[in-house]
Amino acid sequence: MLKVSVKWQKEVFPDVEINTSLPPYVFKCQLFDLTGVPPERQKIMVKGGLLKDDADWKTVGIKQGQKLMMMGTADEIVKAPEKGPVFVEDLPEEEQAIAVGHSAGLFNLGNTCYMNSTVQCLHSVPELKSALLQYLPSVRRSDLDQSSHTLTVATRDLFCELDKTAKPVAPLQFWMSLRKKYPQFGQLHNGAFMQQDAEECWTQLLYTLSQSLPSSDASENPDTVRALFGIELVSRIHCQESGEENSELESVYSLKCHISQEVNHLHEGLKYGLKSELEKASPLFGRSAIYIKESCVNGLPRYLTIQFVRFFWKRESNQKAKILRKVDYPLELDIYDICSADLQKKLEAPRQFLRDKESKKLGLKVAEKIIPAPKDDDEKMTDAEGSSNTNRWSSAASSNDEDAQLTGVYDLVAVLTHKGRSADSGHYVAWVKQESGKWIEYDDDNPIPQRAEDIVKLSGGGDWHMAYICMYKARAVGM
Amino acid sequence: MAPAPNNSSGNAPREEAPVKVPAKDLKKKDEKKDEDLSEEDLALKQQLELYVERVQDPNPGLQKAALESMRHEIRSSTSSMTSVPKPLKFLRPHYGTLKAYYETMAESDLKKYLADILSVLALTMSAEGERESLKYRLLGSEGDIGSWGHEYVRNLAGEIAQEYSKRQGEETPFDDLVVLVQQIVAFHMKHNAEPEAVDLLMEVECLDMLREHVDSTNFKRTCLYLTSAARYLPGPDDISVLEIAYTIYLKFGEYANALQIALFLDNMQHVKQIFTSCDDILRKKQFCYILARHGITFELDEEIVSDDGDREVLQEIINNTKLSEGYLSLARDIEVMEPKSPEDIYKAHLLDGRASASASVDSARQNLSATFVNAFVNAGFGQDKLMTVQSDSSSGGGSSGNWLFKNKEHGKASAAASLGMILLWDVDSGLSQIDKYFHGTDNHVLAGALLAVGIVNCNIKNECDPALALLGDYVDKEDASVRIGAIMGLGLTYAGTQNEQICAKLSPILSDGKASLDVIAFTAISLGLVYVGSCNEEVAQSIIYALMDRSESELGEPLARLLPLGLGLLYLGKQDAVEATAEVSKTFNEKIQKHCDMTLLSCAYAGTGNVLKVQNLLGHCAQHLEKGETHQGPAVLGIALVAMAEELGLDMAIRSLEHLLQYGEQNIRRAVPLALGLLCISNPKVNVMDTLSRLSHDTDSEVAMAAVISLGLIGAGTNNARIAGMLRNLSSYYYKDASLLFCVRIAQGLVHMGKGLLTLNPYHSERFLLSPTALAGIVTMLYACLDMKAIILGKYHYVLYFLVLAMQPRMLLTVDENLRPLSVPVRVGQAVDVVGQAGRPKTITGFQTHSTPVLLAAGDRAELATEKYIPLSPILEGFVILKENPDYTEDN
Repeated sequence: MLKVSVKWQKEVFPDVEINTSLPPYVFKCQLFDLTGVPPERQKIMVKGGLLKDDADWKTVGIKQGQKLMMMGTADEIVKAPEKGPVFVEDLPEEEQAIAVGHSAGLFNLGNTCYMNSTVQCLHSVPELKSALLQYLPSVRRSDLDQSSHTLTVATRDLFCELDKTAKPVAPLQFWMSLRKKYPQFGQLHNGAFMQQDAEECWTQLLYTLSQSLPSSDASENPDTVRALFGIELVSRIHCQESGEENSELESVYSLKCHISQEVNHLHEGLKYGLKSELEKASPLFGRSAIYIKESCVNGLPRYLTIQFVRFFWKRESNQKAKILRKVDYPLELDIYDICSADLQKKLEAPRQFLRDKESKKLGLKVAEKIIPAPKDDDEKMTDAEGSSNTNRWSSAASSNDEDAQLTGVYDLVAVLTHKGRSADSGHYVAWVKQESGKWIEYDDDNPIPQRAEDIVKLSGGGDWHMAYICMYKARAVGM
Repeated sequence: MAPAPNNSSGNAPREEAPVKVPAKDLKKKDEKKDEDLSEEDLALKQQLELYVERVQDPNPGLQKAALESMRHEIRSSTSSMTSVPKPLKFLRPHYGTLKAYYETMAESDLKKYLADILSVLALTMSAEGERESLKYRLLGSEGDIGSWGHEYVRNLAGEIAQEYSKRQGEETPFDDLVVLVQQIVAFHMKHNAEPEAVDLLMEVECLDMLREHVDSTNFKRTCLYLTSAARYLPGPDDISVLEIAYTIYLKFGEYANALQIALFLDNMQHVKQIFTSCDDILRKKQFCYILARHGITFELDEEIVSDDGDREVLQEIINNTKLSEGYLSLARDIEVMEPKSPEDIYKAHLLDGRASASASVDSARQNLSATFVNAFVNAGFGQDKLMTVQSDSSSGGGSSGNWLFKNKEHGKASAAASLGMILLWDVDSGLSQIDKYFHGTDNHVLAGALLAVGIVNCNIKNECDPALALLGDYVDKEDASVRIGAIMGLGLTYAGTQNEQICAKLSPILSDGKASLDVIAFTAISLGLVYVGSCNEEVAQSIIYALMDRSESELGEPLARLLPLGLGLLYLGKQDAVEATAEVSKTFNEKIQKHCDMTLLSCAYAGTGNVLKVQNLLGHCAQHLEKGETHQGPAVLGIALVAMAEELGLDMAIRSLEHLLQYGEQNIRRAVPLALGLLCISNPKVNVMDTLSRLSHDTDSEVAMAAVISLGLIGAGTNNARIAGMLRNLSSYYYKDASLLFCVRIAQGLVHMGKGLLTLNPYHSERFLLSPTALAGIVTMLYACLDMKAIILGKYHYVLYFLVLAMQPRMLLTVDENLRPLSVPVRVGQAVDVVGQAGRPKTITGFQTHSTPVLLAAGDRAELATEKYIPLSPILEGFVILKENPDYTEDN
């Protein structure tokens, strides 16, 4: 019989008896009683190694009073989870795009940044994307010319490709079909393609798409693009001389923000742009007279495009010169005051609803909390996120058209900026809000994350990137 | 300047003649001055002239009287730094006459008297290099040397040194000089001029004489001067100087100081002698703490400590068993026990919207870096937010899941090993937490668990040898990663022990033909670590054979370069001892031969500050090579290794490295950041920080990676806000480059290592001692960094754990006589160099008063702010035992 002390973790068990005539397994069982560690999990350090279950005590050479150290726990053995995690590094390229959290950049094919930035901005419109997806490349409508068809197909393919990969994409096919449809973009200068005006590209591309994409529901809206971007204006034209007055309706794809000495803010620019003087033949006088045209918005688009009229034709230098004036624009735009009286009336109810909801969110009207409104919450979610995924939206767009009421309040979702002194030179960049709410600057093939507060700093007044086209998304409420 | 012995209070001399003026000018001035002289001076002048005449008088009586008076005048005159004493000045014109007359005199006492006077006059008169002062002194009466004043003695000392070197060249005897040296040394030592005495003795190479002259008042300053002078002496003089300091300390019972020197000399006999000469058990405990910090294996036997109980207590201290406890009590005091997650370190919220966009999919690379960051940051705290929490969450199936399996393949090894880092030094509870990883089927996890055992036991010795018992069997397993885990674990645990059992286990692997290259490389490193600085022939042989057995293609692999390093570690800091092996290495395959050469050279002279070797290495770096040669990397690291010994050399090396950056080839530029990292490890110097910050944006990604890692190294364990900011910006700059981002993360982990309580600096005890195991660990990691892509970014990232060898708490923890923590006020400030300064200068500046335990930054020094206790160690670092001061009286 020997007595040893055994140390286990921070505990010491003094005077543990060893019966040297029995195998060490018995000793281990003794320790099991003391520590609760099953014998097979016990590791007992003796000189030169571990104590084996069937070892001979004599060869082990234990001395009276020796200190032994035991290691082992009754803890659960660590097992690998049945399904290991998936690592980004193992994913195929397409899935990496999702992991990155934003779509890919576009390679510059030689002064094509105007095109790249336009594509990136429009790519951020999920409704447009889903409309394109429904467009079948094999079927061409008879009333559509071949080049428009190819351009639409190229746009569709490019949008798909952008979503698939995390690596930059070269928009070769799109570039070619764009040039085919609009030969002015193929202009050469010193053997290289010239820089073009992004606004022109934007307008032309939307025009083509409005031609090719049919309406999502055939009943009311003429085509998808107009449903998304079309702004209905009602104008009152009157002549001060004669006092004659008439009104006309028109539909445009963008509002202009004219920049003059007095304009410091987008709002002022918009108002200024909606008022114009024109000379036209007066039936009363039989000669041309000055008419004043005052427009206001009569129908709101889902996506409000605003163009800053920064470029004007400068005769001396024979180029489109740029107005560098700083014009602030907000992340949240309310165009209620440039709407027509009819529209304003229509907007009253949804706006009130929106206000209530927002103040509730801020916890102002505690009293209304009592009303359970699960649907509200649902809507709030979509609102807060800015947009939802493609499929959800497309179904929502068709079925909830009546439910989702526009409010005249818009959120900034994309900015196309220009850096440089004239429209045909410099650099265009797109700044696009992602579904996650983060902003990405698409500088050709290089997407760079940005903060929202830096986006409103692109308002001009220097040589930094300045907003040229802003795209706002309507904030709708379901009532 | 010390006051001259016979200060007469005469009026200070008004007209001050410069000491050295061309003779012509002097004459003119003298003539002019004759008229300006005050009456008093004129009288003195005439008096002296009279004496000069009288000296030449045939009457010996008159002569004697004249000499006596002259002597009196000289001795009673005052002198200052800027003026020659008046009697000397007035005697100047007569020096020639007196000299001439002296030659004609017959041998007599008078002649000797005159010689004395001439000797003093020669102080200002003798032409440069003539050494007339010495000449006449030797001819003179050999009277009290100090009676002529300090300046005279100092001048004489200088002439002796010149004479000595001349005579040494001519091999003429210099017994007469020795007598004089005796006198001068005795004089200096008595008058607080220890540095001068030591200097003279070093010049004439008889330092032994110092022993007779030191006493309780001056030995401290003498030894301080000796030890700091030793740094700048060529071998073997430095050894003999330190030996003297050692015997002096021993003689006056300053055992702790003597122990420092013994450790510096790596002389175990001395250490033993100190233990046997000292009979105070408390002081012995302090010695054990010093030994433990140095990381040395020292077995106490009965001869050293007779009492069994005492011996057990002492051995426990040497074994570092209480390190974990001390560290945790520091952590509790500073209130940093709360575990930190990698996100707390990355501080992504401070960056502009660049936070990693995805939370949905794990990136293996990012998880691996998080594993390392977590390991480094929570090192030694025993708790973290990734590895140790799972036991709770596994039952509830928590969302965090099992972190281990969020790592991929070999990443799991590092993850399991990180547990060892978190439980660092806590052998008792650490091992049982690692235990559960031993039973799985995944070889990577098993390898990690084995490594974790090694890491937990690092710098700790345990009489049960748990590491050997647990790891021993796995060394010969089939799977390469399991083998490496066990081998590396053994290397970490038994570093510096020269444990023969380990050698017996590991050596056969080197000759195992079936073992893969990585297994062999890690075996060589582990053997190098276990036998670090031992010059062990056997081990060297087996590594050499292993090197010779490699095929040419194997030698081209980056991992093969670890074999020479293993060899080099055997000779770490051992200087000449490497020569035989270096000769053998010349026969190696030329692919590795130069590389091996550089490695051996730089390891052997590591921490010596040998300027010649630095030049040699710089020479190798100046060559522009053809492609494929790799030896310049080790050469650059070698410069840092050799020059890191002392501050001056270190600064020079930093400047030389700047040059290499500008003119060197790419393979040199890649090593330069690492060398800078080694030079300033855990010591974030601003200029180095700036250089590295610049390099971290280098167009060559390998340079940038090395710079980023080095930023981590120089800031290791400091929580330096500036480096942390730089790294944070780098993390957003490189957010797309997975490899560089990985390096940035590692560096971030290093900077916040141990939440700022740790240091990697292998130097300790006020930068006097170099812990060989710590240096070996750092060097190994740096060598691995020479080829980032193949090793750290490949599947051998666990080489980063070699740093654990150098990890030490940067604390001052005072304990009472029962070794329980005791809080006392201390002043902590920048250390001031007080070597050779007069009086009792302040040793720290810009200090603040804290109460222990307290953190010490690089270059900081602490001193007790209370008289109530007496520290048993002269250097307040690490664990220090305080003894109550018997003379202390409470102030009212």
